[in-house]
Amino acid sequence: MASQKSAAISTKRGSFHFDAKWIFIIAIIAFLLVFQVLPLIYLLVRSFFPEGHFSLEAFARIYSYALNWTALKNTIITGGAAMIFGVLIAFPLAWLVGRTNMYGKNFFRTLFVMTYMVPPYVGAMAWLRLLNPNAGILNKFLMDLFHLAEAPFNIYTLGGLTWVLTSFYYPYAFITISRAMEKMDPSLEEAARISGASPLRTLFTVTLPLMMPSIVAAALLVFVAAISCYGIPSIVGAPGQIHTVTTRIIDYVYIGNQEGITDSTVLAVFLMALALIVLYVSNIPLKRQYITVSGKSTRPNIVDLGKWRWVATLGVTLFAIVVVVIPFATVFATSFTMNMGKPLTLDNMTFKYWNTIFSRKAIISSTQNSITAAFLAATFGLLVSCVMAYLLKRTNVKGRHIPDFLITVGSGTPSVVIALALIMTMSGKFGINIYNTMAIMVIAYMIKYMLMGMRSVVSAFSQISPSLEEAAQISGSGWVRRFKDIIIPLILPSIVAGWFLIFMPCFYELTMSTLLYSADTKTLGVELYTYQTYHSQQTASALASAILIVVMTMNILLNKLTKGKFSI
Amino acid sequence: MSVISISHITKSFGDVQVLKDFNEVFQDGEFITLLGPSGCGKTTMLRILAGFERPTSGELSIDGVVVNSDTVFIPPEKREIGMVFQSYAVWPHMTVFDNVAYPLKIKKVPKDVIKKKVMDILEVVHLSQYADRLPSQLSGGQQQRVALGRALVAEPKLLLLDEPLSNLDAKLRENMRYEIKDIQKKLGITVVYVTHDQIEAMTMSDRVFVINRGVVQQVGSPEDIYKRPANQFVADFVGKLNFLKGKVENGRIQLKGLSQSLPYTGPLTGDVMVCIRPENIHITPKEISVLSGTLSHIYYLGNENDCRVQLGDDIFIRMSTYPDLHDLKLGQELFMELSDFLVYPDDGEAHTKILT
Ligand SMILES: Nc1ncnc2c1ncn2[C@@H]1O[C@H](COP(=O)(O)OP(=O)(O)O)[C@@H](O)[C@H]1O
Ligand SMILES: [Mg+2]
Repeated sequence: MASQKSAAISTKRGSFHFDAKWIFIIAIIAFLLVFQVLPLIYLLVRSFFPEGHFSLEAFARIYSYALNWTALKNTIITGGAAMIFGVLIAFPLAWLVGRTNMYGKNFFRTLFVMTYMVPPYVGAMAWLRLLNPNAGILNKFLMDLFHLAEAPFNIYTLGGLTWVLTSFYYPYAFITISRAMEKMDPSLEEAARISGASPLRTLFTVTLPLMMPSIVAAALLVFVAAISCYGIPSIVGAPGQIHTVTTRIIDYVYIGNQEGITDSTVLAVFLMALALIVLYVSNIPLKRQYITVSGKSTRPNIVDLGKWRWVATLGVTLFAIVVVVIPFATVFATSFTMNMGKPLTLDNMTFKYWNTIFSRKAIISSTQNSITAAFLAATFGLLVSCVMAYLLKRTNVKGRHIPDFLITVGSGTPSVVIALALIMTMSGKFGINIYNTMAIMVIAYMIKYMLMGMRSVVSAFSQISPSLEEAAQISGSGWVRRFKDIIIPLILPSIVAGWFLIFMPCFYELTMSTLLYSADTKTLGVELYTYQTYHSQQTASALASAILIVVMTMNILLNKLTKGKFSI
Repeated sequence: MSVISISHITKSFGDVQVLKDFNEVFQDGEFITLLGPSGCGKTTMLRILAGFERPTSGELSIDGVVVNSDTVFIPPEKREIGMVFQSYAVWPHMTVFDNVAYPLKIKKVPKDVIKKKVMDILEVVHLSQYADRLPSQLSGGQQQRVALGRALVAEPKLLLLDEPLSNLDAKLRENMRYEIKDIQKKLGITVVYVTHDQIEAMTMSDRVFVINRGVVQQVGSPEDIYKRPANQFVADFVGKLNFLKGKVENGRIQLKGLSQSLPYTGPLTGDVMVCIRPENIHITPKEISVLSGTLSHIYYLGNENDCRVQLGDDIFIRMSTYPDLHDLKLGQELFMELSDFLVYPDDGEAHTKILT
């Protein structure tokens, strides 16, 4: 009798689970449809039907304007160059750090991975200060050192832009390539060694070809990040009249009239298409990624660099100094500098900018706004991530790959495009008016950054054997209960990490905020940008330094909290 | 074609010593197996032979050439060794042909010679018709043979195999055992084979090294280690075993907790451990029996029965019986004689009597 009764209950529960899954899926799909798919499609349609009927007039207008052509060219050149240099830097770094006996490997790994979390505009600010042709600190230093008549570097050039883009986006490639290298079965390389190949020959005949899919993916990732970037070209490019597609789009939006909006959509469509096509292409080699049987207890074999050990260590140290230490130190130093024309001596030192950032009402309220928006985006984003991870890894519900796909596309879409599309559709035209509210920013942040959280949770999920859950199921616990009792505790570190991964980029976000903020919802990124460009570089530097400190503290916290398993 | 001398090799990872003073000479053309439980240091020893790990101390030479010592280190690529990895390590971006040809390409062997040699080896490992396939189009067993072909193609003096069969299913594993043995005989090379599977060790080896916690417990032919295990660990690891505690008194071993005894003429005195293999226990008439007990469980295995006999409170032994020979019923009293048993000194704790 008893067993019959419980059987009946479990059937009833069974059908209930099914419904619950669908409710979640439909809710997530609906959210993405309304706030991501519809706006992006509208953007596309609008660019071809500017006044309600089909017309390529806007395209003709935009692309007949030389400035825009130059912007397109600049975008592709700098993006392409950053991609090439980024990979050329990242691969050897990843190899040295992951596969050799170079000194200080763990330190360097942490350092390079950490720069991934630094807002790119901080780099722009630093290099502007170091390499501007009139008063760049480094320029002056080199002029004095070598008695040069002219500044050796000019940051306001395509080369300058490329340099800053590279130095801030190579970590993307570094992380992707390092992960792939860690995953590779080390005996594949050992087999080459025992076959008679030297370490170098092994690198070129086995390691490199096996890594190719990841290298291509890493390269394209850097390319998309670089062409979508607004913070760096707006700070470095603007003074030198070097425009990119992102800066042109925002200029057009700032014009404010219909024509401006139309023109910006036309450019945005170009950028979106480029980014999404590239990301699509980059997934093709990934799908072909070689699957190999992996043995137990294999550890990466470490290449003995022999007499090159010190050389490699020295080279990487120099690189780290140039790319990480000098820029950060510059921003930090600038925040204490009274007169920017003079070097930072005790006389020229002041705390007033730090005072400003902790006392000025506008800055404090922007900070609050940023924290609130980032908190909401991270929390909602993580909720979606957890459900998605469960659906993807534990069920075979038919539609589960739709939201997954949409979230991936959202993250690949350039920020300017997301923001522009939201502005155009969410200001009442379709019955939803959230323009000028914090909601629109939270939504934009989620669309752009949710994927980071999702990846973290999904990968944790795939590492938990389903049998752990099945054991709970057989003990009689339902779907929700299992989630709460078994899954959440096991993946908590990844959940915490995922939350931070969404929170951090939202906290200092600039691009989307620039388009979406209103008087009441100004964010930290926008505040900093305004100071940097119009008022006081020192105040901006103090803000940037504060952001850096927050990011690093969170990182260390995250590392402690998750017992070293996570940090970014 | 290769003699390997290992003298006083030790290996530590940090504070943990995983190999303690390994001393041996592997003879030319010998099939050597390193047998032991997981984590005992077999792979480490093999990787030292290959040159992937450097020993903490000691000297290693191959054919009289020192390849490892305090001052000398010859890297793996200079040692002319063939190796088959547990994960096969077949390069997924190269065809079967290219995988196998790789060691010859490194040696700058002329193209036509490469082609001939590779095809010959593919013949040996039964993969001729798969030369142009990519590894992803092969089964596990075929990949394993690619790895074997690649290890053999350059005619190494020494072949190392690290649990090469552990990822294969039971049937294939059995076939591959004989194939590997055949190839070794045909080519006459020295083989060092690592496994935790005693059957593999027994069927293929000339000499087996039984290792536990980084120490060689016994070296001997398969028959030696099975019939004359040097200590309880070896006896227990190779084959099945019953342990009974006892005490030597007046030419008999008085079994503890039982009022039964076994005849004994060996040199040991005092507390001893008696080890009996299940297949050495036979049912006999009461008059000539040495042990008696009650049949408590029968597990049917097909060709034989695996039985549990209760000798006293909490004391059970396993024995093998043959379904055709005896018609047994649970609970019936059994009388048994022993065709063989081993006696070791008992230091109080069962199972720990090993070399350290
Ligand atoms: N590179 C290493 N670093 C630290 N410990 C290791 C390393 N390689 C092996 N060990 C340890 O040495 C012991 C022996 O390992 P191994 O030789 O792989 O054992 P086996 O192959 O017999 O299973 C194990 O406890 C293992 O954890
Ligand atoms: Mg092993």
